[in-house]
Amino acid sequence: MSQQINFLRTLQRIAVLLASLSVSAFAQVVTHTIPGHDLKAEAEFFKGEANKPAVLILHGFLTTNQFHTVKSMANAMQEGGYTTLSPTLTLNINLRKQSVKCNSIHTHTLQDDINEIEAWIAWLKQKGYQDIVLVGHSSGSQELLAYLEQQQDPAIKLAIFTSLFYLNGPELGTQSSDIAYATQAIKENKLAPHKYSFLFCKKDYYATPESFLSYQKLDRAYILKQLSNLTIPSYTLMGSADKRHLDVGLDWLDELKNTPTHLIVVEGANHFFSSEYEFDLQEQLIKILGQHFK
Amino acid sequence: MKTKYTLKLTQPSHFYFVSFLTIGTLLLSLMIWSFYKEGKALQASMLQQTHKEAQQELFKALNHTLNTTYEQLQTLADWDEVHQQLHNPSYYFFWHDERFKESAYFQPYYQEIELYNRKGSLLAPASPQSDLDSLLPEHIDTLPKASLKFSRNDLPYVVVFHPIYQRDNQELLGYVGLALDIKQALLKQNQFFYLDKSSLIFEPSPSLSTEAVIDHIQFKAVDNPVNFYLWELIQKFILELIVTLALVAGLVMLLLNKLMRSPLITLSNYLHALKANPNSEQRPPAETFWLKELEEFKETLFEFHHNLQQTQTQLDQQNLIVWEQARRDPLTNIYNRRAFDEAWNEVIQNYHKHPIATAFMLFDCDFFKALNDTYGHEIGDEVIRISAKVIQQALPLESPAYRIGGDEFAVIIQHRTEKEILEIAEKCLVALNDYPFQSIGIKEKMTFSIGISSLATQKEDFLTNLPRQADIAMYKAKQSHTSKIQTYNLMLETEASALVSNKVINRVVSSAHTGKHIQLHFQPIVSLSNPTFYYEALLRIEGEEGLIQPYEIFKVIERRRLEVEIDQQVILAALEVLKKGQLPERSGLSINLSGKTLLQPNLVSLFEPFLPLLQRYKVVIEITENVLIDHIEYAQKVLNKLRQQGFKIALDDFGSGYSSIRYLASMPVDIIKFDMSMSRALGSDSKTQQIIMATADMIIQAGFDLVMEGIEDSHMLEQARLAGATHVQGYLLGKPAPDFTPPSLQAHEEA
Repeated sequence: MSQQINFLRTLQRIAVLLASLSVSAFAQVVTHTIPGHDLKAEAEFFKGEANKPAVLILHGFLTTNQFHTVKSMANAMQEGGYTTLSPTLTLNINLRKQSVKCNSIHTHTLQDDINEIEAWIAWLKQKGYQDIVLVGHSSGSQELLAYLEQQQDPAIKLAIFTSLFYLNGPELGTQSSDIAYATQAIKENKLAPHKYSFLFCKKDYYATPESFLSYQKLDRAYILKQLSNLTIPSYTLMGSADKRHLDVGLDWLDELKNTPTHLIVVEGANHFFSSEYEFDLQEQLIKILGQHFK
Repeated sequence: MKTKYTLKLTQPSHFYFVSFLTIGTLLLSLMIWSFYKEGKALQASMLQQTHKEAQQELFKALNHTLNTTYEQLQTLADWDEVHQQLHNPSYYFFWHDERFKESAYFQPYYQEIELYNRKGSLLAPASPQSDLDSLLPEHIDTLPKASLKFSRNDLPYVVVFHPIYQRDNQELLGYVGLALDIKQALLKQNQFFYLDKSSLIFEPSPSLSTEAVIDHIQFKAVDNPVNFYLWELIQKFILELIVTLALVAGLVMLLLNKLMRSPLITLSNYLHALKANPNSEQRPPAETFWLKELEEFKETLFEFHHNLQQTQTQLDQQNLIVWEQARRDPLTNIYNRRAFDEAWNEVIQNYHKHPIATAFMLFDCDFFKALNDTYGHEIGDEVIRISAKVIQQALPLESPAYRIGGDEFAVIIQHRTEKEILEIAEKCLVALNDYPFQSIGIKEKMTFSIGISSLATQKEDFLTNLPRQADIAMYKAKQSHTSKIQTYNLMLETEASALVSNKVINRVVSSAHTGKHIQLHFQPIVSLSNPTFYYEALLRIEGEEGLIQPYEIFKVIERRRLEVEIDQQVILAALEVLKKGQLPERSGLSINLSGKTLLQPNLVSLFEPFLPLLQRYKVVIEITENVLIDHIEYAQKVLNKLRQQGFKIALDDFGSGYSSIRYLASMPVDIIKFDMSMSRALGSDSKTQQIIMATADMIIQAGFDLVMEGIEDSHMLEQARLAGATHVQGYLLGKPAPDFTPPSLQAHEEA
């Protein structure tokens, strides 16, 4: 039985691979000048069926729209006929194409990211899309939540968060001294970058105090609170084997479950839904979109 | 020329030995030098090749490094963070000083890197945290070409710029500038197999284009271990070759020395020793030769020499015997005339160098001829034997006696005073006189005469006169009945010459020595069987008062012992006659020789000039019977030689002396001449006549020609014819005359 399932899955993968190749042929890179910055941002845009909503997919911490989880999600949705827009946050780098290292100079702030999300949503709307679904992965999900806190755009119909955690918390390695240092630096107007501990960037997150502090807002409580405050339906897809659970504790899933979001836990999947769990992720996304946009 | 060439080739063994060694060493050195040179050339070639490889390697490395640098700069130009800095250089120092150096883009051989805006200005003029002098300019106008520069410390670095373009519209955004530690970059980015990395030196110079950089880099090729190992191998090989060849050469030389040279030298020395001492036995060298052939040669040499020595000894012994035989008188077993001549010549020669007292002594048996006639030859011979023995025993040991004539003995005595000599003579005389000759049947008393001549230390000329002087002294002794020992003095000579005038003596002596005044008279000898004749040459000397009589001439000749000299003059005169063709054709000449001349060693050569004339003339040599009998062996040898050459030998005066028929068979003669007494005897009693005729018949039967002398009338001629004479001579046929008077016509016709 299991062998038959495996065989079927293999066939499915081949089909998806072929479909994605055909779909990718239509994807295009678009640039958009972010208002208020002398910066251009880059995104991958796929025009789907007109009667289906556009999906904005946001990558995780320091990565780009080329990150495989993002690509996978975009492909699934493009295959489903959905218009997709996968922007790469500039992180203050003009037409950024590459992931940013921990020790790169980080001057970008959470608000900069929110502004870029807002700019891209505006770009979609300008393109005529009135139904927009927001999909985020990892910290991208958190930033979408932060955006949704600030903007309640009626065009946004649905939000799907994958691998949703938070950025600030002692259990994540956040050093109160770092926060104190950064806070003091701002006070003293010492804006030079400094190395902090931030998530997996242990003591080598080279950032300006403003940049560093801006993301501290995204703590556990804030995420749960924003989930609860959402005015649009939301889904949260989590991998049961995500190693972040080791830091944040398994009760995080319970806490998510207690929010209005629809929590879907994919058993065995890691933080990036790697390997065969990529298809589970895709299935869940298509399924969710299918349920909402018939 | 040939001799010179041979001399050059013939050298002692060490010459060839050293030559071989020298040439061998030279050839060896040449070969080793050639090896060494080839090895060096190979090493140099490999070094050159390695250097070339190293140069190519450096060139490739330089290109690779520059290309890599351009690629790295291109990657940098595409790096987000570079764009970030160009967009907002607020934190350029932090990026430049910290972030960049931590990034994967940073390379340890980047000495300095800077970003420039599109206007060519540094994003920040200078790093406030750096005191170092900037290697990169603060501003660039256009995109500079890559160039090689040197810091103040003369450290080389390459400055490279690369443009950065906007990603969306490809507009120039700025530049990235890099000061590259070229040496470090080269070493980090490249692997070198031929280049010695530690040898890289960049020559300080003004800025250079990268294309010219290669010319300003000093480098060395790595030590090629193979090359050095090879060179070590070559050196080792050469060394081993030298040692091996030296050992081989040494062994060869030792072997050659042992096998050839040393044996040759030993053998050569042995041969020298044999040569130096041919008569002593030389043992072969004790050294054992390795070569069997040489060992055999050595043994053979020894055996050969040994045999040679034995043969020589035998030969010497035989020679001694022959010598003794030649010098011993067979009758008496004392030395003979030849031994005397040799001994006397030696005395003369030694006297020339060391004049010493020398005496000459002559012994003669008185009336020996009568004794011989009376008792016969056997008793005569016995008397001679006894005389010789007695004289020899009485003489001192160092003075042997010589039998120089029939009954004549000579003794040479040296280192003695006249008194001692006289004593010796007296001792001899006493011994002779005391000998009991009666025991052999002689009834009469035997007497002996002794003549002595002596010379203390006078001139050599006088020494040669001693025999003649002793002869004179002996003649005097014979004449005396009481003083049988006479010592020569000048008075004796005067006495001897008293019988003839001094003028005659002087003329005869002078003629004997010079040949002057000699006349030959010729008496015909006529054949009775055919109408031929020849002449006997008879000596005459022209004196101041007419011809000197023959008896006078011979008296002087005999007394002065000038027989040899006068015979030589006669021979020369006869030769002259024949040469002048004065003699009638088909005739001949007969020449008389004394006994002394017959015994001269040069007798045969005296007659050599006659040889061409023998075809035209008959030449007869007449010898008296006594001489022949006394020296029969020697006479046979010499006369037979002359006979072989074509001369005829005549036995003169047969019947005047011993007339011993016993000797006739062995006489080396062709003609027998009957003495006039024999011819006359034909006319005596019938018994005598028969004996003579029987004798003549016997002679004819034996194949001799028979000449009868003294034919004075027809009766005698007839008797001669009846007796069987082949030739006749006498007044009837012609007297001796100075010209060639033909025989008396009547008599000739009768004959």
